[in-house]
Amino acid sequence: MKSQKWVPYAFLALPLLMYSIWVIFPIIQTLYLSFTDWDGVSPELSFIGWDNFKLLFQDPYFKISLWNNIKWLIGFAGISVPLGLLIAMLLDQKFKGSKVYKTLMYLPMTLSFVVIGQIWSWILEPRCGALNSFLGIFGLKSVGWLSDPNIVTYSLIMAASWRQISYAMVLYLAGLKQVPKELVEAAWVDGANGWKRFIHIILPMLRPATVVAVTVSVIDSLRAFDIVYVLTRGGPFYSSSVMANYMYIMAFNNYRMGYGSAIATVQFLITLGFIVFYMRNVLKKEEAL
Amino acid sequence: MKVKKIVFYILATAIVALWIAPFMISFFTSFKSMDELMTTRKWWAPPKEWFPSNFVTAWKDANMGRYFMNTFVITIPSVLGALFLSSLSAYALSWYKFKLSKFILMIFVGGMLIPFQMLLIPVYRFSVSIGIYDKFIGVILFHIAFQLGFCTFFLRNFMKTIPSSIFDAAMIDGAGHFTIYRRIVMPLVLPALAALGILEFTWIWNDYLWSLILIQSDEIKPITLGLVNLQGQWVTSWNTMAAGAIIAAVVPLFVFLLFQRYFIEGLTLGSVKG
Amino acid sequence: MKKVLFVLLAISIAVSLLGTQKLVINSYMSDPAPKKVFAELVEQFEADHPDIEVTVNTFAHEDFKTLLRTWLNSSSAPDVVTWFAGERMRYFASKGLLEPIDDIFKGGFEAYFPGAFKSACAYGDRIYFVPQSWYWWGVYYRKSIFEKLGLTIPINWYQFLNTCEKLKEAGYIPITIGTKYLWTAAGWFDYLNMRVNGLEYHLKLTNGEIEYTDKGIKKVFEYWQQLVDAGYFINNHTSYSWQDAANYLFTGDAAMYLMGQFIKDVAPESVKDDLDFFRFPVINGEIGLYEDTPIDGFMIPAKAQNKKAAKIFLEFIASKEAQEYFASNLGRLAANKDVPAPDAHAQKGLEMILASNGVMQFYDRDTNPEMATAGMNGFVEFMVYPERIDLILNNLEIERQRIFK
Repeated sequence: MKSQKWVPYAFLALPLLMYSIWVIFPIIQTLYLSFTDWDGVSPELSFIGWDNFKLLFQDPYFKISLWNNIKWLIGFAGISVPLGLLIAMLLDQKFKGSKVYKTLMYLPMTLSFVVIGQIWSWILEPRCGALNSFLGIFGLKSVGWLSDPNIVTYSLIMAASWRQISYAMVLYLAGLKQVPKELVEAAWVDGANGWKRFIHIILPMLRPATVVAVTVSVIDSLRAFDIVYVLTRGGPFYSSSVMANYMYIMAFNNYRMGYGSAIATVQFLITLGFIVFYMRNVLKKEEAL
Repeated sequence: MKVKKIVFYILATAIVALWIAPFMISFFTSFKSMDELMTTRKWWAPPKEWFPSNFVTAWKDANMGRYFMNTFVITIPSVLGALFLSSLSAYALSWYKFKLSKFILMIFVGGMLIPFQMLLIPVYRFSVSIGIYDKFIGVILFHIAFQLGFCTFFLRNFMKTIPSSIFDAAMIDGAGHFTIYRRIVMPLVLPALAALGILEFTWIWNDYLWSLILIQSDEIKPITLGLVNLQGQWVTSWNTMAAGAIIAAVVPLFVFLLFQRYFIEGLTLGSVKG
Repeated sequence: MKKVLFVLLAISIAVSLLGTQKLVINSYMSDPAPKKVFAELVEQFEADHPDIEVTVNTFAHEDFKTLLRTWLNSSSAPDVVTWFAGERMRYFASKGLLEPIDDIFKGGFEAYFPGAFKSACAYGDRIYFVPQSWYWWGVYYRKSIFEKLGLTIPINWYQFLNTCEKLKEAGYIPITIGTKYLWTAAGWFDYLNMRVNGLEYHLKLTNGEIEYTDKGIKKVFEYWQQLVDAGYFINNHTSYSWQDAANYLFTGDAAMYLMGQFIKDVAPESVKDDLDFFRFPVINGEIGLYEDTPIDGFMIPAKAQNKKAAKIFLEFIASKEAQEYFASNLGRLAANKDVPAPDAHAQKGLEMILASNGVMQFYDRDTNPEMATAGMNGFVEFMVYPERIDLILNNLEIERQRIFK
């Protein structure tokens, strides 16, 4: 019955064509450019083999960027996801106003990163920003949230987590629909017993949500860009740089398209592992296909 | 029990308050004078005197009216186009058995997860070379293509849940492939399309980077670019910037509040975000 | 009233019948003051040339810098772009991305501009750049604060340190600076290097001919470190844009700011008159007095759509009237040699430059763009971690060898 072989291809023709032009072919082109010294301007480019990659692994700022991506990864997958779960558990009980509370928690997800960046820029402003003014009430010293090289990356992760935690919470709220409400409530009020129940019963039931939340958070942390770009552009002196941001600076500020492509390629290869993991988990149940 | 309930309420309220604090700060800031901001530094307190004029400045100077229209002109066809094309591919990938089916699906899913920096340089060059750079159509086509990965994956998941007996029955009745797609499958996935549409609307509305790369004329810039322009001009006027940010955020915010159910459904069904 | 409308309508119909041409200008003048003046200039131009319809696209300064190269490369490039004279222009000219414009100057470049500007506007033997205005750098300060503390203008380094110390004791931030976008730190480097090693040395450095680990460079950072160690710079400067930092000067929290004349563009009316500048202090009496004098202007991309109209526009920009209008409204110095300094403040700036022994553009305009990014990052890193200076200079030297090979 489904024997006419051309039928699915007819349906796929247009979407696949567009996808190839704007997504697949560009990926291949970037892979190719990463082996050249193209400056983004000259009509000619020369093939330089692995030189970009060799240079990359000696580049101290690339190392900082990579290391920062790992911090993002830990912040997103290791902190945002559990916090999202915690808040979901908290709000997934029967109480007055639970709907309003949830709606308010969702709000950060509707904002663009440009807006989020702006909001946080006046929260984190060092001299009279909201956070330092607030600390000032308690007589605490001002912190250079975006200027202290040892702190800045964590400040950025904090700003991004505002949205990421909301997202993890949404996923867990959906997952919790499979869990009886009494169980959730019992987990909170039952002390040690409740904790055991949470670990042994609820958490396993939430496994699919966890897989998605963790992998997506990992992938997002590896391609983080917007917040960094809006708030610090990777500064001061690359201390808050991440791979995506460093790539953008190299390619579009310093006119090293070849080198920038090499960074994108490395980023791509690192992400690839997680993408494969994601697909295996999400598409695993598709054996019927 | 009673005490625990109270503790719970306090905890939940504290977290929610913390979460919306940035919103409140922005809202209050947008109505304050710079003098008040600088002298009191009480960001979390409502303005002593309300200055709606900040919004007038932001609106007029950043040309928000036009940017608004431009964003609609970009967003609506992009969403419709992405929904339509992905429904075709999702239909093919969910109902037919063919050799490359799994491979193609993996390409779509993989594409939606890659670091988008991979596309930046080639997409820009391509748009220039075929003459769609700095035109609405260039951004729209890109958005449609780029969102196809997620949309296809999303709709396919949904279509998979439709029992295949419906399909078989229609085939026996002699319905053509396109008729089945249009008359049977599409009406069934309407709720999913709604959820997906709301989600895509928010994402494309909020796009900044691609418009930055693919548009240069003020006449066709979307609101996110307008907002950054405003930021460049009013660097030290936080109140004006806050007003601008609120203007830029208000449409997705309303869409979300109106269609919250779809939005959340979309996120959880799709299990991924862009 | 009706009649006027009718005439206007008739004109516009006539014009549209004749066919208007489009002229697209991409501009980085995003601060309100220059944006407004430039828009007025464009209006004047349109009034003179009703057949040309001008579109101005304004971009935030920092975005403009990254996007310019993509425009120059695109087949639908804008017709005119704002840019900086010097190496930053020459870089694009050398790649064949700019249109030579020698033919717009009737009677030659020197008929319009001082001969000294020519090299900054040319690549090889052709002109690619129309200068519009130029300005000086200086240490801007609040007169009222200096008066209140009984401070006089420091002439030499020792006095300068003394001034900083007194300001600090009185509870002021002696020097404000915003290094988020890096280039402000290059101002300090330029001046210290010019005062310690002289102009010739500095230009050799920007040409890539001097090692960053050279003794002379180390000496520059020794002086700089005196200011850093004493805590004379504002805290957390890495999170401020130049305008954020300027705000501390305007509110009276900070007393001095090494900055270009355009700081006046963003100063509120109430403090404009209280804002003055002095020449960067002398460090070594045997070295001449040199200054940073960046030139801003326009150029035409090689791939522009309407080069004819673009050249007409640049001709207009080079004209005495247009130069005078722009300069006088912003208090800058016009590039056109027939335009006098517009006000007393500008006269003072001009005199300072005329009395100097030589000028340069600016670090990031005189050296290779990639070297500039690396260098300025290094300067800012030094301002936060002065103890890392040897490491920073070693890294810069590695970059120099790679870039100027």
